[in-house]
Amino acid sequence: MTDKADNIEVKKINRSYGYRSDRFPVVSVLLLAMIAVGCIFCGIFSNHDPFYMNLDSVNVAPNSTFWFGTDTLGRDIYSMILNGGRISLFIGITASAISAVIALVYGSLSAVAPEWVDEIMMRFTEILLSVPSILLIIFVQAVAGSDNVISIAVVIGFTSWMSMAKIVRTEVRQIRSEEYVIAARAMGGSFFHNLRWHYIPNSLPSILFMIIMNVRGAIVAEATLSFVGLGLPIEIISWGSMLSLAEKAVMSNSWWIVFIPGIFLIVTIVCITEISNFLVQKTK
Amino acid sequence: MNKARKKSILRKMIIYIISIFVLSVIVFGMAKLSPGDPLVSYYGDRAERMNDEERAHAYERLGLNEPVYVQYALWIRNALQGDFGISFKYKKPVQDIVIARVGNTLLLGGIGFFLIFTLALMLAMFCVLHEGRVIDRIICRVGTITSCIPEFWLALVLIMIFAVNLKILPASGAYDIGQSDNVISRMSHMILPLIVVVTGHLWYYSYMLRNRLLEETVKDYVLLYEASGLSRRQIVFRHCVRNIMPTYISIMAISISHIVAGTYIVEMVFSYPGIGTLAFESARYHDYNMLMYICIITGAVVIFGNIAGQAVSEMIDPRMREQVKVVEQDD
Repeated sequence: MTDKADNIEVKKINRSYGYRSDRFPVVSVLLLAMIAVGCIFCGIFSNHDPFYMNLDSVNVAPNSTFWFGTDTLGRDIYSMILNGGRISLFIGITASAISAVIALVYGSLSAVAPEWVDEIMMRFTEILLSVPSILLIIFVQAVAGSDNVISIAVVIGFTSWMSMAKIVRTEVRQIRSEEYVIAARAMGGSFFHNLRWHYIPNSLPSILFMIIMNVRGAIVAEATLSFVGLGLPIEIISWGSMLSLAEKAVMSNSWWIVFIPGIFLIVTIVCITEISNFLVQKTK
Repeated sequence: MNKARKKSILRKMIIYIISIFVLSVIVFGMAKLSPGDPLVSYYGDRAERMNDEERAHAYERLGLNEPVYVQYALWIRNALQGDFGISFKYKKPVQDIVIARVGNTLLLGGIGFFLIFTLALMLAMFCVLHEGRVIDRIICRVGTITSCIPEFWLALVLIMIFAVNLKILPASGAYDIGQSDNVISRMSHMILPLIVVVTGHLWYYSYMLRNRLLEETVKDYVLLYEASGLSRRQIVFRHCVRNIMPTYISIMAISISHIVAGTYIVEMVFSYPGIGTLAFESARYHDYNMLMYICIITGAVVIFGNIAGQAVSEMIDPRMREQVKVVEQDD
C-alpha cells in the first residue's frame, strides 16, 4: 500500500499540468526582444522609406530590393513591418497599462467596500463582460469617433479591465484582513496609502500574466479594428492597418501582403503567450 | 421541484432582469456621449432637410430637450413596446433588420459552439490518455499556436487558398443568390467560417478541460478502480469525464461571450449576412440605434447563458450551489 501511495505522490509532483515544465521560455523572449529592438530602432534596420508610395513598383513580390515585396500602394513591406510594429507594440503596452491601473483601483475599491457596494461593483463588471469584447470596443470606438494611436489605446484599455479587476478583488479581499494592513489602517493609513503600499504590490504578481495577455489582446484588437476599417487609417502604419489592404490583395493573389505581416503578428502573439504561460506556472 | 429550487430560480430571474436593465442604462449612456446631431441618428438624411420648426417638433417628440434620465425613460418605454428606433443606414426599424438576420448568426454560432465543445472534450480525453507522450506534447504545442492566430487573418488565408486559388468554396455570403433554402449551398458557405470559429477557440477550452481531467485522474477513486483492474481508458471515459461535467458546463457558459465575439469577426470577414456583419457596418456608419440594439440583445443572450449554465451545474452537482469556481481568463 505504502509503495503504491508513494508512487502516486511522485506522480503528482512530476505531473506537468502545462505540457512544458517550468523552464524559462528563452526562445520566445529572444524572438520578442529581436522584434522589439527591430521595431524600436526601425530607422537603422529599414532599407526604404515605409511611407513612400512608389507607384513604379506596386504589388511587387519579394525580391532583392524589396525583401518582403511591396503592398498595393507601392510601399516596402519590410520597412513597414518594422515601423508598424512600433505602433502595434505601443498600443498593446499602453492599453494593457491603462486596463491594469483601472483593474487595480477598481478591484481594490470593490474589495474594501461594504458588502452591498462590493456586490454592485462586481455585478457591474459581470454585465460589462457579457457584451463580447469586440462589440464593446467597436461601440466605444464609434462613440469616441477619433482614429489616432492614443485614442485607440485608450478605448481598448477602457474595455478590457474587467476580468483583471475580479482577480484583484479576490486577492485584496485576502490581503485586507492581514495583520500588517490592519496595523496600517489603525495608524490612520488611508485607502490610497494601502493601495499604493499593500494592495498593488501584493496583487500585482497574480495579475502579471493577465497584464501580459492583455498586451496580446490589445494588439489583436487593434489589428482587427484597423482591418475592418474602424481603427487606424492606412496612412498610419501598424500591423493591423497593413492587413487592411490584405482583403484586396487576396483577390489579386498577392500572398506576401497577407502572409508576411500576419506571420509577424502571430509570432509576436505566440511569444507573448508563452511568456504569460510561464508566469502562470511560476505563480502556481 | 422543491421550495428552495423555486426560490433559487426566482432569484436568478430577478438578477437577470436587473442585469439587462443596467446593461440598457450603460448602453444608452454610451450612445448619448456620441458626438453629432442626435436627430441625424434617428431620422437619417431627413434631419438635414428639416426646417427649424420641424426640428423643434422632432426634439420635442424625441424628448431631446429633457434631462438625460427623462430621455432614458422615454427610450426604455418605447423599447419595451418593441420600438428601438430607426436604423440610420437602412431607414427601417432596427429590430426588423436584426430579426431578418439573427437566424444566420444563430446557425453559424450554434454549430460552431457545438463543434468546439464536442471536439474539445474529445481532444482533452485523448491528451489525458496519452499524457506526457510525444503526441500529447505535439497537440499542446500546435494548439497554443492555433489559438494565437487572429481570426480575421486565418479567414483571409482560407479565402485565399480555397476560394481564390482552388475555387472550391465560396468566399462570402451565406447562400447563393435566391437559394436561401438550399441546404447544400448553405453548408458550402458555412465550411470556411466554421473552420475559423472552431480553430480560434478549440484549444483554449480543450486545454482547460485537459488540465481539469488530469487533476481528476490523480484522485483516490481512480487508484481504487486501477486496483480493481479497470483500464485507464475505462476509468477516464466512465468516471472522470462524468465528474468534470459541472466544470464542463461552467466553461460552456463563460465561453458564450468569447465565441459570439469570434463569430461576429468571422461573419465580418466572410460578409456573412448575420448580426456580426451588421454590428461592424453600424459602427462604421455611426448607426447608434442599431449598435445599442445589438449590444443589448447580445448581452441578454450571454447573461441568460451564464445564468442557465450556473443553474444546470447546480442541478448536477449540489456542491456548486455554494460557489462556482471556474478559472476564468480573458482571451
